[in-house]
This record gives sequence, C-alpha cells and structure tokens, in this order.
Amino acid sequence: MFSPLRLAGDMKVDPMFLPEVEGDPPPSPVADLIRVAQAGGNEYPKIWHLFAYRPEATGHLSGFTQEIMRGDCPLSPGIRELIAAFTSYGNDCPF
Amino acid sequence: MPHISLPAGLPGIRALFAFRPETAKALCELAEVLLHAPGTLSPAERELIATYVSSQNDCLYCQTAHGAIAASHLGGDEQLVLDVKRDFSHADISDKLKALLAIAGKVQLGGRNVQPEDVQHARQHGATDQEIHDTVLIAAAFCMYNRYVDGLATWAPPDPAAYRQRAGKVAREGYLGIPGDVQSTQAGR
Repeated sequence: MFSPLRLAGDMKVDPMFLPEVEGDPPPSPVADLIRVAQAGGNEYPKIWHLFAYRPEATGHLSGFTQEIMRGDCPLSPGIRELIAAFTSYGNDCPF
Repeated sequence: MPHISLPAGLPGIRALFAFRPETAKALCELAEVLLHAPGTLSPAERELIATYVSSQNDCLYCQTAHGAIAASHLGGDEQLVLDVKRDFSHADISDKLKALLAIAGKVQLGGRNVQPEDVQHARQHGATDQEIHDTVLIAAAFCMYNRYVDGLATWAPPDPAAYRQRAGKVAREGYLGIPGDVQSTQAGR
C-alpha cells in the first residue's frame, strides 16, 4: 500500500520511461494545462502527458470515461467515482 | 449465460456494444486507432499483441476473435498466432515484437511490473517511444476489454469458423463499422 505523502514526492522526481512522451506534445487543451502548470512551477498528474502525447487515441478514452462516469445512468456520479477509486485502489494505482 | 439480459445471437463484446451504444462508439474508435489505423507497427503485429494479452487473461472470445484477425492480416497463418500465444520467445517473429510482447505481458500482470530494462531492451531492438507507448496502451486496453467481456459472461461461439468470417471483414475495413453492424443485426431479428 502507499502513503499519500510518498506519492507526492514520487510524482515530482520520477522521470517517465519514455522521454518522447514528456517532450513537446501536439496542440491540445491538455498540452495547454501542462504548460500552465509547468510555468507556475506546480505539480500535476503525469497522466496528463499520456493524454497529450497521442490525442487521436486518448481522445476516445476521454470520451469513453465521460460517458461511463457522467453519462445517463441510474448510478450517481459519486457512486461511479467510488467504484473507480475502489478498483484503482485494488490495482494499487495511487493516482 | 450472460449475467445480464443481452441481445441474443450477438457474440462477446458485440452483444455489449448493442446493449450500450453510447460506450460502444468510443471503444471501437480506440480499437481502430490502436489496431487498424496506419502506424509503424503493422496491424498484424498489433493484433498479435492484443491476442497475446487476451490469451494471458484467459478471455476466450477476445483471443479467438483477435487471433483470427491477426491470422487474416498474416494471409491465414493461424499457426503463427498459436505459436505467439504458447511461447512467443520461440515464435517466428522479429526480436522487436518479442521485446514488445514481453512488455505487454508485464502490463497484463500489472503495470508496475514494467521495468526500465524492459523498455531499454525494446529500444535496443529498434522500438520507438511511440511503439512502446502504443504497446502498453494496447495491453492496458485489452485488459479492460477482456474484463468487460468476461465480467458479464458474454457468449463466445465455440466454432472457430464463426470468428474467421468476421475477422476478414474487420481486417479489411477496421473497427469503425462495428457499432452500426451490431445495431443492424439486432434490427434484423
């Protein structure tokens, strides 16, 4: 299991496996977010780089996530986020 | 017997696409980009990665469907697909694809199993960052598709011939037409 404190440190110092993914991304809203965060010296989740790197693929992931998390469904968005958080915890994925 | 009431006669993920068209579109578009759209890895190589991960997840429908699509891209070479599933390290494929399959196998066990040396090994055999990125995304996406298909206990046809027929069409035309296909199959019943 992880501690939130250690997670924050890891996100700041660990480089990703693929430098190209952290390099100059094509224009997209996520790429803008990264630039703003970096310019302000702020921490941000590294998954932003994954979404910025291959928008032609990850755009569909965002669309899918939006549909299952916020689309029309008898389960409230809060319950759906709890299911996602519980599964991520089970997968030992801190973010 | 599926765990929920699904349209009859549609196999595997196709029944789920018919049940929930809103999510089907994004899932098919993702499959199209990952497996069929032009890329430096051939469609056959990418389908072999998807097939291998599905077989490691013991998902009968996905490994048979994508194995048949891979074989279709390979001119019908079903033996190579079997070799990759059984022991890719001795299969007649490039060292680069072997290194990418090793990474995919680690993602299947859990993403944190991938080590810097696995990535280094793939690079030494000529894999680019984008090829490594896409390999990890294919492996991760198929863990999702496999769990989706088996978590709802969808029907997997027992006869390989049923997969071959659909595989040829997907190999030629890709994934974008599938949501429309399942809707018209349903309407025709």
